Amino acid sequence: MRDVFIGGVGMTLFGKHPDRSLRDLGREACLNTIRESGINPKEIEAGYCGNALAPALQGETGVGQNVFWEIGINRIPIVNVENACASGSTALREGWMAVAGGFYNMVMVVGVEKAVMPKGTMLNVGAAELETRLGDVFPGYFALVAQKHMERYGTTREQLAQVSVKNHLSGILNPYAQFRKEFSLDEVLNSPMIADPLTLYSCCPNSDGAAAVILCSKEKARNLDISPVKITASVLTTGTYENQQDITCWEVEKRAAKEAYNMASLGPEDLDVVEVHDAFTICEIVHYEDLGLCPPGEGGRLLDERATELGGRIPVNPSGGLLSKGHPVGASGVGQVVEIAWHLRGQAGERQVKNARVGLAQIMGGSKEADTRACTVHILVRE
Amino acid sequence: MTNSSKTLKKEKNQDWVLIQAGLFNYPVEEGQYPALLANRCTSCGKSFFPKRTLCPHCFEQGEMEEITLDRRCVIYTCTVVHIPSPAGIKAPYAYGYVDIPANNIRVFALFTGGDPYSFQSGQEVELVLEPIKKEQQGQQIIGYKFKQLS
Repeated sequence: MRDVFIGGVGMTLFGKHPDRSLRDLGREACLNTIRESGINPKEIEAGYCGNALAPALQGETGVGQNVFWEIGINRIPIVNVENACASGSTALREGWMAVAGGFYNMVMVVGVEKAVMPKGTMLNVGAAELETRLGDVFPGYFALVAQKHMERYGTTREQLAQVSVKNHLSGILNPYAQFRKEFSLDEVLNSPMIADPLTLYSCCPNSDGAAAVILCSKEKARNLDISPVKITASVLTTGTYENQQDITCWEVEKRAAKEAYNMASLGPEDLDVVEVHDAFTICEIVHYEDLGLCPPGEGGRLLDERATELGGRIPVNPSGGLLSKGHPVGASGVGQVVEIAWHLRGQAGERQVKNARVGLAQIMGGSKEADTRACTVHILVRE
Repeated sequence: MTNSSKTLKKEKNQDWVLIQAGLFNYPVEEGQYPALLANRCTSCGKSFFPKRTLCPHCFEQGEMEEITLDRRCVIYTCTVVHIPSPAGIKAPYAYGYVDIPANNIRVFALFTGGDPYSFQSGQEVELVLEPIKKEQQGQQIIGYKFKQLS
């Protein structure tokens, strides 16, 4: 297996882009990436596009070909990837495998989504599932995780809300974030209840946006005028769907993290910066525990200790996370890796984690049988 | 033929339809309790609701036998939802998961009857078969729910 390097990164502002199409957003992210790397688009040997909702929301399929067409990339293999919230990160892993396996020396990965809908529209993408027809809603499952976590470990509503407070504080410093506004603990706690204990500001917004990454071999990376960042682990896995699993953790994530740490020959103690899938506040707390940033049940305490804030022992979601930066579903996983790359290169501006050398990005997508359909973990290291 | 396939044939002239065939027998016969229909692998003993065609552990080695899940259900975890669901259920409503100890199985559970906030983990609940949304005009969708012991 060959080493795979980040040859360029770029993204659009995450947020509301009512007048822009998927291909328009995708083009901007790809162009930013190509410009920073200084390559000719014709050097790209394969393209991978993560998108989750375009067939359901825009009636658009083949989004990857549409986006790459915009920047004149043709005559090469282009792959469209759907894996719910992990669509973008799964596309990234496909590109990583292709370069690692020696099939290509330079590929491009883009994640793109338009998920902002008219007020009051319900995202009706789980209609085939019995649970959805019986009343299950996205925030509800995560509320159940939170309820059990509170019952078993004494995690408090204040600790849950603190995730949102922390991530919004970081988001203020991120010019790509949807919400650049501070929220107090009381504002989060007293915002409208969605699914108890999760309030409105405990849930990430629907967003539009795109993010892109160029992946390349060591030889190609050497010729680029950007400081080299290596992807030392790329893991994708699926839930076990075992009935009666403990709902206070995700076995799928623990397994993915273990595999990624093994692949990178690193452990959680080596991480300098982390981006996790904080679609709901409880998720970030569970991710701390599953990724080994703290023992099971102590995620709330990690927040009390301010360990995961900017300037803390192990900053998590310095981008503002999905809670503040926004969650354009298919783009989010790529956006996390863009953020980590910026930190490792020292280009993250005001939110820069000092001297960051090792970063991890985690995201997961889709629920089935109270388990997770897809979970990815990527570890990046500055050379 | 099972009762559920009989009821499916009659559906056109009825004002109700089952949310999914094969989950339970409906209408419940007089003197009977409502029950969830599941199956169990005779090789490894694992139970499945809704029924699975293949045991994911034993594949072809396991033969599946039809079972009825036990009546004793205990709430594993629950929440109260304050937004309307795509299923059309009026908020606030409670749902979660119930464990059925006799069958070592956990089942998705929509709760009904009483204050949504009165459901707590550890509580015993019982199965009821009723329309998913109450105020609907025309054909009712019959689903399974759980209510507090009467």
